[in-house]
Amino acid sequence: MNTTRPKAAPSSQKSHCAIEWAGKRLQILLCCWVLGGFLFFAPAPTLAASLSITDSLGRTVEIPQPVHRIVALNSDILEVLRTLKAQDLVVGVFSEIVREPEFWGDLVQKPKAGSWRDPDLEAIVRLAPDLVIAYSRNPGPELEKKGEALGFRVLRLDLYRIEVLEKEVRALGLLLGKETEADRFCRWHRQHLDAVRSKLDAVADPPSVYVESYSDYHAAGPGSGGHEMCLVSGGRCVAGDLSIPYAVVTSEWVISRNPDVIVKAASFGNGYAVNNAGPFNRRRNAIMNRPAWNHVAAVESGRVYVMDSAIWTGPRAIVGIVYMARWIHPGRFPDLHPGDLHREYLEIFQGIPYKGVFVSDDIAGKAP
Amino acid sequence: MSSHAEALCRNYRAYAGARILFLFVVILLLLGLTAIGLSVGASGMSPLEALSALFVDNGRAHSIMWILRLPRIVMAVLVGFGLGTAGAVFQAILQNPLASPFTLGIGSGAGLGAVTVILFFGGGFQTYRMALGAFIFSLVSAFIILGVARMRRASSETMILTGIAQMFLFSSVTSLFQYMGTMEQVQEVVFWFFGSLSKVGWPEIGLAALMILLPFPFLWRRAWDLNLLTAGDESALALGVNVEHLRMAAVVSASLVTAGCICFTGVIGFVGLVAPHITRMIIGSDHHTLLPSSGLVGALIVVAADTLGRTLWAPQVIPIGIVTSFIGVPFFFYLLLKRSREYW
Repeated sequence: MNTTRPKAAPSSQKSHCAIEWAGKRLQILLCCWVLGGFLFFAPAPTLAASLSITDSLGRTVEIPQPVHRIVALNSDILEVLRTLKAQDLVVGVFSEIVREPEFWGDLVQKPKAGSWRDPDLEAIVRLAPDLVIAYSRNPGPELEKKGEALGFRVLRLDLYRIEVLEKEVRALGLLLGKETEADRFCRWHRQHLDAVRSKLDAVADPPSVYVESYSDYHAAGPGSGGHEMCLVSGGRCVAGDLSIPYAVVTSEWVISRNPDVIVKAASFGNGYAVNNAGPFNRRRNAIMNRPAWNHVAAVESGRVYVMDSAIWTGPRAIVGIVYMARWIHPGRFPDLHPGDLHREYLEIFQGIPYKGVFVSDDIAGKAP
Repeated sequence: MSSHAEALCRNYRAYAGARILFLFVVILLLLGLTAIGLSVGASGMSPLEALSALFVDNGRAHSIMWILRLPRIVMAVLVGFGLGTAGAVFQAILQNPLASPFTLGIGSGAGLGAVTVILFFGGGFQTYRMALGAFIFSLVSAFIILGVARMRRASSETMILTGIAQMFLFSSVTSLFQYMGTMEQVQEVVFWFFGSLSKVGWPEIGLAALMILLPFPFLWRRAWDLNLLTAGDESALALGVNVEHLRMAAVVSASLVTAGCICFTGVIGFVGLVAPHITRMIIGSDHHTLLPSSGLVGALIVVAADTLGRTLWAPQVIPIGIVTSFIGVPFFFYLLLKRSREYW
C-alpha cells in the first residue's frame, strides 16, 4: 500500500496553482449560476401523471394518477365501482347505504360521508380521498369550492342517464386502470340495448305510455330518466310534450290522454330484499282503482305495471328497459328475459346472488 | 225616540244591510267561480258539455265530472270555509291579528302527524290514517298552547309565541323525519306540504265536512262572546263571559276544523290568516256575520286558487298552496293600503 505524502509545491507552482484555483472557482460559480437559473426557471417537475376526464357537466377535470381512495356519494357510482371490481378503492360511502345491507354486503361497513345530496365535508376530509364522485347536480357547486380548499377533487358523473352511461363507465375504467372490466360491461350493455332497439325499428305506431314517478300524478316528461327509458323501450310517452321532467298532472289529464300502458316507479327501500310481489301488486291495484281510471285503456286491459327503483334508471336501467319493452310490445321480445338479464348482471358484474322482486308482474320477471 | 237614537238605528240598519249585501255578493261570486271551476279541465270538454255531463250519464265525461271535478270543487269550498272560519276564531280568542291555524303551529302539528304516518305507518287506508295522524297532532299542538295558557295565565302574545315556537319545532322534526324516508316517501311528504286537492273523493269529503262543519253552530252561537273577547279579557269577564272556558272550547273547535281541512289536502297556507282580515276590512268585526263571511271568502280564495292552479299552466298543476299566496297576498296588500282607517 502506497503511503507516501505529496511533496510541497515550489512558489512558481504556488502562483500557477492560485490562478488555476481562481479559474476553478469561477467555473464552479458559473455552474452554480447556470444550475440555479435552470432550477428557478424550469417548469416544476411532475410528481405524478394526471388524466383528463370530461364530467357530466361537460367540464374537463384533471385527476392526478393513481387514484387510491374514492368517496362514492351515491348508489349509482358505487354500483359501477363494484362492476369495475374497484370497490377496494372505496374509502367512504353515502349514508343511505344502510337501507340496503343485503345488496351492498361489506360495503355497508365503510365509513359514511353523509347524504348523497348533503354530504358531511368534515367526514370526507377525515377520509382523505383522492377523489369524491357525485351526481352533476347534487350536491351543489359548494362541494368543489370547499373541496378545493379542503384538499380533495370532485368528479361529477350521472350514471343514471342511459345515453352517457357507457361513455362514463369507460372513462372511469381508464381512470382506475380497469379498462378490461369497463369494456366487458359496456359490450354487455350495448348488446342488450341493441337487441331491444333492433326489434323496434319496424314499429310504426308505438303504444302510448303514462310513466309515473315515485309520487302519485308526477308524470315523467322530457329530461327525466323515466321518459328516456320509455322512448328506448319503444313507447310514446304521453307526457312527451310537457316542459318539465316531472310535472304534477291531474287525474283528468291522464284519463284524457288514455294511455295504452301505465308504468309506475316504486321505491320500497330495496327490491333486492323483497321476497314477494305483494307490495308491487298493492301499488298496481291502487293505480287500477284510482277514481274514474276505469275509463283508461291501460286499466281496462290490465296493462298497469310497477317497477322497483333499482332497475328504474341507473346502471341497471337496461333490465328495466327490457321489462318495459316487453310490457309495451307484448310478444315482440320472446327471446329477451329480463330476469335472466338481471341475474347475469348481479352475478357477473356485482358478484352477488340473484334474488329479490323488482316488478309487479311476477311472471315476466322470474328467471326460468 | 230621540233623533240621535233614530240616527243610530238608521246607521245600524244600513250597516246590517251592507253586511247582508256582502254575504249575498260573496255567495254569488262563489257560485260563479264554482261553475267556472266545474267547466274547465284537461279533458277538453266544452263548458256546456261539462255542465250537461253532470246530469246525463254519458260514460267518461259523467265520471270525470262526478268523480274528479265535483269532489275537487266541493272539497275546495269546504277547506276554504274551514280555514277562513278557524282563522277568524283564532284571531278573536287571542285578540291578535297574526293568529291563524298556521302561525299557531296547529297546521305544522297536523303536517307532522301526516308525515309520521307516511314514513312510519305504511299500509292500507293510508289517506284515513294520515287524517287521523294529522288530527291527533293538531290537537296535541292546540293543547300545548292551552296548557301554556293555563299554567302561566298567559297573554295572547305568549300564546302566539308558543304557537310560533311549536311551528318551528314541528317543522324541524318533519324535516328530520324526511332524512329517514325513501325517495318515494320524501316526495310524498313534499307533495303533501304544497297542498293538493287531487286525491279527494266523496268519502274523504264526508269525513272532512263532519270535522269542518260540526263545530260551526257552536262557534256561531258564541259570536257575542267572541265580540266581547276582542275588547279584552277584562271587559269580557266584566260582562259575564267565562273567558277561560270560551278560549278552551274555541281552540278545540278551531283545531278540529283545521285538522279537517289539512288532513286530506295537505298544507294550504295563508287562507286562514288573510280571509278573516279581508272580511273584517269590508264588513267589520261582528262575529255573527264575520264567521260565515270569512268562511265564504276563504272558500272563494281556495276555489279560485285551485281553478287557476289547474288551468294556468295546464296540464301541469301548480300546487294550490303556492297559488293561494300568489292571489291572496296582492289582494291583501291592496286592501291594506287602500283602507285609510284602522279596522283591527
